[in-house]
Amino acid sequence: MTSDIRFLHRENAVFASSPGGMLSLRVDDETYPVVYLHCSFPHSEPERYISVRLPDDKEVGMIRSLSDFGGQTAELLREHIRIRYFAPAILSIKSIREEFGYSFWEAETTAGTCRFTVRSGGGNVKTVTDKKLLITDVSGNRFVIEDIGKLSDREYRLVEMCM
Amino acid sequence: MKPLPDHLRTILQQHGVEERDVFAWMECDRDPDGTFRNRWLALDAQYLYVLTDPRPVADKTFQGYVFPRSPKKEATVPPADVQVERTPVENIDSVFVVHLVASGLIAAKCPEEKVLAAFTNAQMREAAQFVRTFEKWKKGERPESRQDDERESIRACPTCGMPYPEKDRAVCPKCMKKHALFVRLLSFAWKYKRSLIWIIVFMLLNAGTGLVIPYLMGTVFFDQALGGTGRFAGQIGLVIALILLFRVLSLLFGIAYSNLNARMAANIAFELKANVFSAMQRLSLSFFQQRHTGQLMTRVNNDATDLQYFFVDGIPYFIVNAINIIGIITILAVLDWKLTLLCLAPLPLVLWVVRRVFPKLWRLSWRRHRRMSRLNAMINDTVRGARVVKAFGKESQEIGRFQRANESFSQVEQSFNKLGATVFPALNALTQAGGLIIWALGGYRVMHGHLSFGDLMSFIQYILMLYGPLQFMNNIVNWWSYCMSAAQRIFEIQDAVPTVVEKPGALHLEKMRGDIEVSDITFGYEPNKPALKHVSMRAEPGQMIGIVGHSGAGKSTLVNLISRLYDVDEGEIRIDGIPIKDIAMSSLRKHIGIVSQEVYIFMGTIAENIAYANPDCSMEDIIRAAKIAKAHDFIEKLPDGYDTMVGSGGYALSGGEKQRISIARAILHDPAILILDEATASLDTETELQIQEALEKLVRGRTTIAIAHRLSTLRNADRLIVMDRGQVVEAGTHEELMTSGGMYAKLVKQHYEALKMKGVG
Repeated sequence: MTSDIRFLHRENAVFASSPGGMLSLRVDDETYPVVYLHCSFPHSEPERYISVRLPDDKEVGMIRSLSDFGGQTAELLREHIRIRYFAPAILSIKSIREEFGYSFWEAETTAGTCRFTVRSGGGNVKTVTDKKLLITDVSGNRFVIEDIGKLSDREYRLVEMCM
Repeated sequence: MKPLPDHLRTILQQHGVEERDVFAWMECDRDPDGTFRNRWLALDAQYLYVLTDPRPVADKTFQGYVFPRSPKKEATVPPADVQVERTPVENIDSVFVVHLVASGLIAAKCPEEKVLAAFTNAQMREAAQFVRTFEKWKKGERPESRQDDERESIRACPTCGMPYPEKDRAVCPKCMKKHALFVRLLSFAWKYKRSLIWIIVFMLLNAGTGLVIPYLMGTVFFDQALGGTGRFAGQIGLVIALILLFRVLSLLFGIAYSNLNARMAANIAFELKANVFSAMQRLSLSFFQQRHTGQLMTRVNNDATDLQYFFVDGIPYFIVNAINIIGIITILAVLDWKLTLLCLAPLPLVLWVVRRVFPKLWRLSWRRHRRMSRLNAMINDTVRGARVVKAFGKESQEIGRFQRANESFSQVEQSFNKLGATVFPALNALTQAGGLIIWALGGYRVMHGHLSFGDLMSFIQYILMLYGPLQFMNNIVNWWSYCMSAAQRIFEIQDAVPTVVEKPGALHLEKMRGDIEVSDITFGYEPNKPALKHVSMRAEPGQMIGIVGHSGAGKSTLVNLISRLYDVDEGEIRIDGIPIKDIAMSSLRKHIGIVSQEVYIFMGTIAENIAYANPDCSMEDIIRAAKIAKAHDFIEKLPDGYDTMVGSGGYALSGGEKQRISIARAILHDPAILILDEATASLDTETELQIQEALEKLVRGRTTIAIAHRLSTLRNADRLIVMDRGQVVEAGTHEELMTSGGMYAKLVKQHYEALKMKGVG
């Protein structure tokens, strides 16, 4: 099977951060002032197969792996992936109150203490990999538990009732 | 415009900006670095201001969160800390929103793109509004002072004023807690109060007559009749007759309440299911698309059955058993209060076990319920997709998938049953330990003459009678949690508000001319993913508008919005000059007809299916409609003609036949506006040609919006609209678009090439 994927790597692509905080790209002889990164497997392989797209959603190419780029560029790309897939990771759960169709969560996250509301049912608390749990609140904000196995018994009991 | 917060007003004033000059502002709450940080954007005639609080927010409460107690007051930002940056509006070409996953960026082009701020999803609507105001200002239009969304007013609980956790779901958890589920359930039972009262009366009589028997069999028989003392001395026959009489009475009252109960059970089950089903029908399309069909089916059936137990087995038995317990304990205490106290000694231990183990049992029952729903959804999935499964020869893979789901259900079922099987016998043994105490101590007291033999016999029988009600009370916790969670799920459906709501006093239109005007609409099924962006179009009465574009371009979304299956996020749709939000749903449904690719044939006869929109029409009307739809001939060939049963379990119609029935349905519906959503997409060319004729007859005299994959079917369209990625990219007549040589011309070329390849055309 022939592939028509245009892969970007350190030999043909240069990524840079624009003064306005956007990601720009020069690939071969073309320059793109703004590009966005879309992970093909945001949960299972967030650093592999990253689609580089223009604001009008056209794909410029794909990055096979962030390791195809040098340390600084890889870190820049990682930063832009984090901007796009912003989801505070839950470090510990203080409480989950379940009341009449909603669960009210209070948790310590990588972005500080967060209190949010999750609608019960409808797949708002779901496992996206063997270990990772994705929680979507009533406004569509996302939170993750990176390894559900690392939760304490008490935390697991609380989370399980919302799954 | 929403008033500026105090601190923002102060800071802006320090920079010479008065609140009256600000015509748009918004709050942004996240930072691209992965933390939360407050940043505000404000716009006046000269500048766009970005105000940044340098400190990250370490404690963030998202929209909808209800504090168990009153929340801590948020600290206001001291003005000195806030950094202010301003950019002259004339230097900014545009302001736009970058949709990220679950959040967004607001950026400006000046002329290089620059990130102004980042925000979480709840601010998405506000950001879009800010961008719109900026665009208007740039275009030289006077931006009207920002109006809060008209739905905003119904987004707060009228009782406590708290905003609903979800904007589109008017359920206030705070107030709902006050009206506990139980009270709500009782109010449902109120309808059956007569039956309930009779049932309870008969149950009490049954229990009362039953309570006399142990006394007759113990004290009266042994101490009086056999012992030759008291009123019944030597009257063995009379005592036995009395025992028999009370037994018969108890039996008759038992039969009476069982009969009443059986009747009420059927009624309640019927009404509960009807209630949930009609509550579901009331909801908007999005509700069904967000949930598994399996989950909904479980909900209607299992939850209604669980609730039926609440009314039928729950309330009456609870009352009677409670009275039984009180009655028996009183009698026991009168007979010998010391012995009674000893018998009840194991009770605290029983209660302790119940409190410890039941939460665990409840969690397991929830897990079981979840896995069962998943299993049902999976079975449903495989059965529906049977054709694909067979075509790919993936039966064994499906069996494997089923086995895994089945196994995980079976595991939790086993754990649940195991725990139940251990706990309940243990509880029984504990409660019955009281029996042994009576034999030991009661026997001792009889031997020492402190208690008569007859009283001991009565005592033993009463204690045996006590076990039943006590056990019921033991199980009641389990049963109670079943019922309450079922009630919660059912009330959730009943309380869910349709996302598309009719305005009070909406207009009922007797007639519709069919003038459609779509102005600058934006819509997304999810808040951060617009499926349509700034779409405008016009269809004059009687015109046929064709919509073309690749799949996923937003064609079906546009017609869904015109028929108001969803509400637009921005912009407006008008029919005959009236915004569709002001038109009654019944008028919209009456005057807008849809023939789509997905044809649904309901269970029933062909005639009933054709007459679906207008069940009172005459047989002649049905035949006439079928003739226009070119369905008459094939129907006549069927042995049962128009009476042929179709739908699941009935005669299997072919794709073309189903489509013709749906066209006949639309003809009979006779709408002013007709939407053809890929009506012929799933048919072969020959059938399509036949149906095309039927469609041409159907569209005559109506405003028609036709989506078609095959461009040849749009040859009669007055105007064509070409859509791509949620936007209108071209519009005009076939000739105009062919001359301009844009996307449409390209699509037409591709289309004919494809036909040539197939040897058609």
